[in-house]
Amino acid sequence: MTEADDIRLAQQGDRAAFEALLSAYYDTIFRFAYKWCGSRADAEDVTQQACIKLARTLTQFRFDSAFTTWLYRLVINCAKDWQRSQSRHWGDDRPGEVVALAEESDAQDNPAETNIYLQQVLGILDDMAEGFKETALLVHGAGLTHAEAAGVLSIKESTVSWRLHEIRKQLLLLQTSSAPLQEARL
Amino acid sequence: MTDNLIDKAFATHPKPDSEAKKRALALALMEFDAVQETQALEKQATDTQPAEGPAAQKDPAPQKKLSGLQGFLAWLRLMGTHNPNRTDSMNGNAFTFAQKKLLISGLATCSLAVVGVLLFQQMPLHTSSSMRDDLAMSKEVRRPEAAAGADQAVEEIIVTGARELEIAAQYSPAEPMVIAEQQAMSAKRAQETARLAMPASPMPSAAPASDLAVVPPPSEFRDRFAEFQENSVKAVSEEPVSTFSIDVDTAAYSFVRRNLNNGYLPPKDAVRVEELINYFDYQYPVPSDKATPFLPSVSVMDSPWKTGNKLIHIGIKGYQLPASAIPRSNLVFLLDVSGSMHSPDKLPLVQQSMELLLNNLQPEDTVAIVVYAGAAGTVLEPTPVKDKQKILRAVQQLQAGGSTAGAEGIQRAYELAEANFDSKAVNRIILATDGDFNVGPTGDSDLQTLVERKRDQGIYLSVLGFGQGNYQDAMMQTLAQHGNGVAAYIDTLSEAQKVLVHEATSTLFPIANDVKIQVEFNPATVAEYRLIGYETRALQREDFNNDKVDAGDIGAGHSVTAIYEITTVGEGKPLLEPSRYATEKTRPADKLGDEYAFLRIRYKLPGEKQSQLIEKPISASQSITLDKVAPGSLQQEAGFATAVAGFAQLLRGSHFTGDYSYDDVIALAQKTKGTDDYGYRTEFIQLVRKAKLAKAM
Repeated sequence: MTEADDIRLAQQGDRAAFEALLSAYYDTIFRFAYKWCGSRADAEDVTQQACIKLARTLTQFRFDSAFTTWLYRLVINCAKDWQRSQSRHWGDDRPGEVVALAEESDAQDNPAETNIYLQQVLGILDDMAEGFKETALLVHGAGLTHAEAAGVLSIKESTVSWRLHEIRKQLLLLQTSSAPLQEARL
Repeated sequence: MTDNLIDKAFATHPKPDSEAKKRALALALMEFDAVQETQALEKQATDTQPAEGPAAQKDPAPQKKLSGLQGFLAWLRLMGTHNPNRTDSMNGNAFTFAQKKLLISGLATCSLAVVGVLLFQQMPLHTSSSMRDDLAMSKEVRRPEAAAGADQAVEEIIVTGARELEIAAQYSPAEPMVIAEQQAMSAKRAQETARLAMPASPMPSAAPASDLAVVPPPSEFRDRFAEFQENSVKAVSEEPVSTFSIDVDTAAYSFVRRNLNNGYLPPKDAVRVEELINYFDYQYPVPSDKATPFLPSVSVMDSPWKTGNKLIHIGIKGYQLPASAIPRSNLVFLLDVSGSMHSPDKLPLVQQSMELLLNNLQPEDTVAIVVYAGAAGTVLEPTPVKDKQKILRAVQQLQAGGSTAGAEGIQRAYELAEANFDSKAVNRIILATDGDFNVGPTGDSDLQTLVERKRDQGIYLSVLGFGQGNYQDAMMQTLAQHGNGVAAYIDTLSEAQKVLVHEATSTLFPIANDVKIQVEFNPATVAEYRLIGYETRALQREDFNNDKVDAGDIGAGHSVTAIYEITTVGEGKPLLEPSRYATEKTRPADKLGDEYAFLRIRYKLPGEKQSQLIEKPISASQSITLDKVAPGSLQQEAGFATAVAGFAQLLRGSHFTGDYSYDDVIALAQKTKGTDDYGYRTEFIQLVRKAKLAKAM
């Protein structure tokens, strides 16, 4: 049975097909969410929300794009919802907490170093204008091409390239100009 | 170089947690079913037909419908997210209203057809469409793996399983009403609750230990324990008197259990021997009235870990209050809802624990709730337990977030307790936290002063510890010790059940305060002694008769056990060299020659300032052996306490246990576990096995 068949069956209400679909994509969603949130617990929450949302909205998938494209859109929306709810709950003490949480819970599957880089990059992406974080994650985190990312975000391919360029500039700025700041973030 | 940084940052490949995945899938499938169900209902526009889900899903059904409804409607509207960068929200795909209309009418037509079929078959409407048949089939197919999963869980909770069921049974009466209330809440909230209500899965006990090797110890322990040195051997000729305060805390045992269930040995300082021993309920003889709140039972037996040595076993069992004598309770819950509590084994477990306790209180008892996070706030003014729905609602709505302002919270809690103070009632604050009191001027000693002052006014403080990774054990011990309360560590729902339901009376109602034990050894018969455990509870010799010095409290029905290891004169091999210059003048009178030691216990009855004294000689005539153990006998209880003491010392890496091994512990515990109504002792034996495995790794 192909994936498209699974999707069609699930849209018609086939529970098993839906479960198969979910189970196949859970890991992808989770990895994406993890890179978005930077911590396991949050990523699990986001992934869970995304799965539930998928159950509600699968019928809206019209096969006019790749399923992954559509799925990434959904996951990004969930992740953004999560981010909004976080900023509501946490106020400004959040960033420090994120680092602490992540270091603690992920020592087992990541070298601490990677995690620090992740926190650092996320910190910068969160400070940038809307749209940058998802662009970076789709291309660098999920390994999509610029064209595919453009498809997910419904923007021009050139915009994707431009955003990535801007992000690179920001990172360069951080690395060269402000070593102390960088340490402070760590 | 920068790309490097990005790539390095995203080079992480976290492995999804299979439990979380299972949970998410289950929830999504529930949602999926709900959507299917709602679609069917919507299509017919008949709300008279009850939606009969499969029996197993009956409970969550009301919630499901609500969220399902929203889910269904959600696709009809454009997502209301604001969209400055032209990023397309998923529903924006040129979905014109006309198309929607077509779709709706199409669906409606379909549904009519479905209804026709159903009527034709004269079946009750319990499936949304004929596709449900497929669904049933697929369920059949999936069943084996589901069953396999269940088996795993069952295997792990052999001991706790029965209790989980009890808990479920106790829960259910309140549940439907709660759910009805929740329908008014937002769909998101409902889902969260559904997650909490999912049996056992967020509970660490159900899952983790199914495979010992999987979970590695955290690379860094942030849990804070006070360091202490094991009591060492003392020469009777130099220090004939040993004095300590009793300790009824059980936190150390649960914490150790959690570590072992995760497959690694606990940090040494987390193992307080006396708390492990006192975790268990021992059937010592009980006094018959309130005037003498407890009886000491004394026995002497051979030490299992060092031949020639003997163990003196002192057991105390508190008087059990009859139901009619139980005083009213004025409880203020002080709940930590800071960001660090945002974890399934913390806040949700707190909420469940509170619900358990509520079921166990009298209608006229009052409950108030104060939370602290970024700021402290009163969530619930003192409310009588008969208004249970209101309390439950307040509990359900708690959410974690923000940092911790413990000091402010604790003050607020004391204000509430004072406002509602009743001198005839038990006024108690129950603090539930993972240990962070990190905002505000809060050294452990400042808090301690506050707690002591309030204790003298009659407001006690108990501490329930939750979670791991940041557990501030030392601070909790301090608070509970000085607040005349119990420090318990809640790692699972069944532990909550033990502390708050089975032992609620001992947790809540003290029958004797400031209980101190002093043992004077007879230099004619005993060369050396060693107190096992109670390192953090040692008192000065002069503190014993000083009623101003605070000590531990005994609750109704509590049992407390202390064990001394002694080397008798002539028989054993003393560890200490005899003093070359000591004179031999301290020979006591011959008629006391048979006595090993003399036991003195001081205690105050609740509310009294003057202490009372119990005295009892300990002599060779009280010797028992563990060769034959009669059920319910003192041998059995003393034997089991000895097994636990041996285990605790092994975990601490004690120098005094010789070749004693985990296998010896298991053998002794098996022999002395008795009827073991609640399965705690069986669980202990499993823990020893786990420790053996963890040590081998």
